[in-house]
Amino acid sequence: MQRIDALPIHIRAVTKTYGAVYALDGVDLEVRSGEFLTLLGPSGSGKTTLLMVLAGFTRPDAGSLKFGDAEVIRMPPHRREVGMVFQNYALFPHLDVAANIGFPLKLRGIDKNDIHARVESALATVQLQGFGDRRIHQLSGGQKQRVALARAIIFEPRILLMDEPLSALDKKLREHMQIELRRLHEQLGMTTVYVTHDQREALTMSDRIAVINHGRLIQLDDPRAIYDHPADPFVANFIGESVLLPVEIIDGKPCYRGRPLQVAAGHARDDKTTPGALLMLRPERLVFMDDARADAAAYNRFDGVVGHAVYQGENFVTYITLDDGHEVAVRSVSRKQSLAAAPPPGSTVTLGLHRDETALIPGHTAAAGNNNNDAETNRGHKP
Amino acid sequence: MTAAAMDINAAALRRDERREKLALFSLCAPASLLVLVIIVAPVGWLFWLSLFNDAGVMSLDNYTRMFESKSYTRIFITTFQVSFLTTALCVLLGYPLAYFLAQLPRRWAALGMLAVLLPFWTSLLVRTYAWLVVLQRKGLVNQWGMELGLWEAPLRLAHNLNGTLIGMAHIMLPFLVLPLYGAMKAIDFDYMKAAANLGANPVSAFRHVFLPLSLPGLFAGIIIVFVLCLGFFVTPAVLGGGKVIMVSMKIETLVDLFFNFGTASALGVVLLGLTLLVLFAAHKLLQLDRVLGGGHGGNP
Amino acid sequence: MRNNATVIHSTVAAAAFALTFAAGASAQSVTVASWGGSYQAAQSKALFMPVAAAMGITINEETYKGIGQVRTRVAANAVPWDIISTGSGGGARACVEEILIPLDYNLIDVSNFVADTHLPCCVGSDVFATVMAWNTDTYGDNGPQSWADFWDVQKFPGTRSIRGKMHGMLEPALMADGVAPRDVYRVLDSEAGIKRALDKIRELKPHVAVWWSSGAQHAQLMKDGEVDMTTGWNGRFDVAKADGAKVAYTYNQGLQDYDCFGIPKGAPNAGLAMQVIAEMSKAEFQVNLPKYITYGPTNAEVYQTGQVDESVARQLPSHPSNARKLLPVSQEWYAKWEKIGSEMYQDMITE
Repeated sequence: MQRIDALPIHIRAVTKTYGAVYALDGVDLEVRSGEFLTLLGPSGSGKTTLLMVLAGFTRPDAGSLKFGDAEVIRMPPHRREVGMVFQNYALFPHLDVAANIGFPLKLRGIDKNDIHARVESALATVQLQGFGDRRIHQLSGGQKQRVALARAIIFEPRILLMDEPLSALDKKLREHMQIELRRLHEQLGMTTVYVTHDQREALTMSDRIAVINHGRLIQLDDPRAIYDHPADPFVANFIGESVLLPVEIIDGKPCYRGRPLQVAAGHARDDKTTPGALLMLRPERLVFMDDARADAAAYNRFDGVVGHAVYQGENFVTYITLDDGHEVAVRSVSRKQSLAAAPPPGSTVTLGLHRDETALIPGHTAAAGNNNNDAETNRGHKP
Repeated sequence: MTAAAMDINAAALRRDERREKLALFSLCAPASLLVLVIIVAPVGWLFWLSLFNDAGVMSLDNYTRMFESKSYTRIFITTFQVSFLTTALCVLLGYPLAYFLAQLPRRWAALGMLAVLLPFWTSLLVRTYAWLVVLQRKGLVNQWGMELGLWEAPLRLAHNLNGTLIGMAHIMLPFLVLPLYGAMKAIDFDYMKAAANLGANPVSAFRHVFLPLSLPGLFAGIIIVFVLCLGFFVTPAVLGGGKVIMVSMKIETLVDLFFNFGTASALGVVLLGLTLLVLFAAHKLLQLDRVLGGGHGGNP
Repeated sequence: MRNNATVIHSTVAAAAFALTFAAGASAQSVTVASWGGSYQAAQSKALFMPVAAAMGITINEETYKGIGQVRTRVAANAVPWDIISTGSGGGARACVEEILIPLDYNLIDVSNFVADTHLPCCVGSDVFATVMAWNTDTYGDNGPQSWADFWDVQKFPGTRSIRGKMHGMLEPALMADGVAPRDVYRVLDSEAGIKRALDKIRELKPHVAVWWSSGAQHAQLMKDGEVDMTTGWNGRFDVAKADGAKVAYTYNQGLQDYDCFGIPKGAPNAGLAMQVIAEMSKAEFQVNLPKYITYGPTNAEVYQTGQVDESVARQLPSHPSNARKLLPVSQEWYAKWEKIGSEMYQDMITE
């Protein structure tokens, strides 16, 4: 299939309420032409509602939605010319694979032979050559996924929407499909809006991630920035694992338990109006301090007592209770030396965090940070 | 464990499996027996009776008479005509109704379903006579229609084919709506969204997606209604004005008036045969297996 | 109604019991089966209870569905009834089929009976007529006076209802076609004659709105004003009229028919049943019947007793002034042609 001439999407102040509940609360979002943008958020955050607004299945209360220069907020779904892959694929069970994929072309009155040729080409694109006359119920989950994708792109929409398309697949297949979807996007180049609640999937696939919660856009950034510099505790907890420690700002300098923290240049807080911030500790960024390190001085230090350790195969996690009572995890690669060097339970250790990897989450008081330990993403890793 | 002991185990396991299958089969034994006693045996008896003529001699007279007499042919034609038209009427009324109910929120749909099923709780005879009151020359419909100036002379709505069809469609409607509603409820609304997303306006989305997916339910309803109509008695007898004579009514006359079980049985046997033929033709023509098979696996 | 009947019933039974006890004889009883409804209620009050009292026996009453049921019971050799009340046609058929036993006309006196109101196995209990009735809103009092009028849709525009079965329809058709009443059954005694009658009905067919199937139905049709003219049984129209229906009828060219009592083969008390039927056939008991239903006595002696009000008597189909106008239904003809005629009639309806 040919490369597609993509369109940007302009979302302005889109609001949707259900009774007193805001499903979308004045969302502003620019999706760049040809980019792979993921809407990431927990269930009920409004990400799917936003996707449905883009597809035209949900009528918002207010706002503006433009595909390129065209205002489409009132346009019925069948005229929007956007491709969509549904969570359950929504393949028509009464049609075979070829008829499913050819469906949008048939609606557009395209000649039978043309349809046939283009269906074959689409099948090739999703690596399903020869599957045209299969019935839908004869397909595996992964094959259904590919057919749904072929059907969504065969009419060369300039915008492609995907609603948690991989959630029904097992882990191996899901990871394989992530790469394939990404490859396909690179090949075809249409603007893609992808909805998922899986942060790893979002990090893997996206050019940019829009984190949504409570109907609001919380942060829009590339995966690295989202991970390294979350805009607020919600993002920090939702994406990756983290423990947030309360930090005081004294004379414009962040201090943890009275001790000043070294912070990477450019990430220091200048804002003197708020009294505190949060320090994000990610397990893989923490190291057991070895004063023999050449750059030992570049590490912020945290003292604690070793709790238990969990072996996870490619790495192992040690849980440390800090002096102030916070329990943090340290993730180390499972290599012979590091396993041998792991401190025994009950021993006192010092953890180090390199100043270049020391990230503060601004604008939040200490009190706000302490209650985030029960966030979904943290919970799964505790035994 | 020795090989011999293993063999003994294998034999015992096979025995267990056989016993379980037998136990499972025995669950349907009462039903099978019932079918045998109340369906197979009487139908066999009917068939046996139909082979004896008025003089009590074994012959095919009862059947040859049926093909020689025009009135029998016409009665069969009327029976199939009434059944066909009633079914068509039920489809016309029932499809939009089922569609409407399937779109309603659960609570309202339950209420609507109740309204559809309510007539089931009233005696068939009462409902039929109620239609007579409504439809006859000086009935409600004609009174109102003429008072409102919609028509001048009373419409002939009862005591003819019209009345029969109205009454029968009313009675048969739930039999069409129930399986159809079930089939429609099972259609994932995402299919319609997908169709719209792929460029189908509401009409073509309905035509290309919803309609074909609802067909198995529709066919099930059509067959139930049609077959029930073939044997109908009360409504055509009351609302047909004596002009709409169906096979069942002829059977009643034969038995009640002439005690002619031979001819009556022959009629019953031929009606049964034609009914089975219709079912077989429907099965072949509509390829019900395929349509029904297509209904599975829609969701991952 | 049912409670009342039970109370009366038990009183009669008690009285009968007392009588038999006094006489020192063993208690005797017969069981009568009839059609139920207002008809049986009238029979009970006029015939069953007085006869039971007079004879000092018990008469048990049951309802049944018709000759078909008797046939089944006779075939099964388990007849629960001693006397059945049925229509003349059913009685005639039952006689031919030997479901009913021959009656002893030495015991049952029919010498004063209206002509043609008894059969070898079934003796008339009351006389009714198949007549033409019309809606008085449509035609006023100037309704049809002959079957020719009934057929004349120019003179009497409007809808018609006639019976969906041949019974009582071929005779009017022939009369409408100009056959004198006394010649009707002679003309009908061939397929050609039947065809002539059917052709006459074919003429009327476009105006037939309803082919009625029961007495209740033709009464209701007149009550509802569904048709302007119908054939039917006189008593039903009187009941409908009393109920407010705009209906009138004439005995002109009507068909005289009757209900009758018979004894099923294998009846447990056939001997006593014969005596009971003989009693019920007497004028002294039949005289009571018109008080409860406008069906006439079969025993014409009733009209000479002077016990029936002249105004009531004149309405009854068996009153000499009305009986003159009526053509008695020929059971011999029906026995011979019923099957063939019915097939041809049905053929005519469905074409």
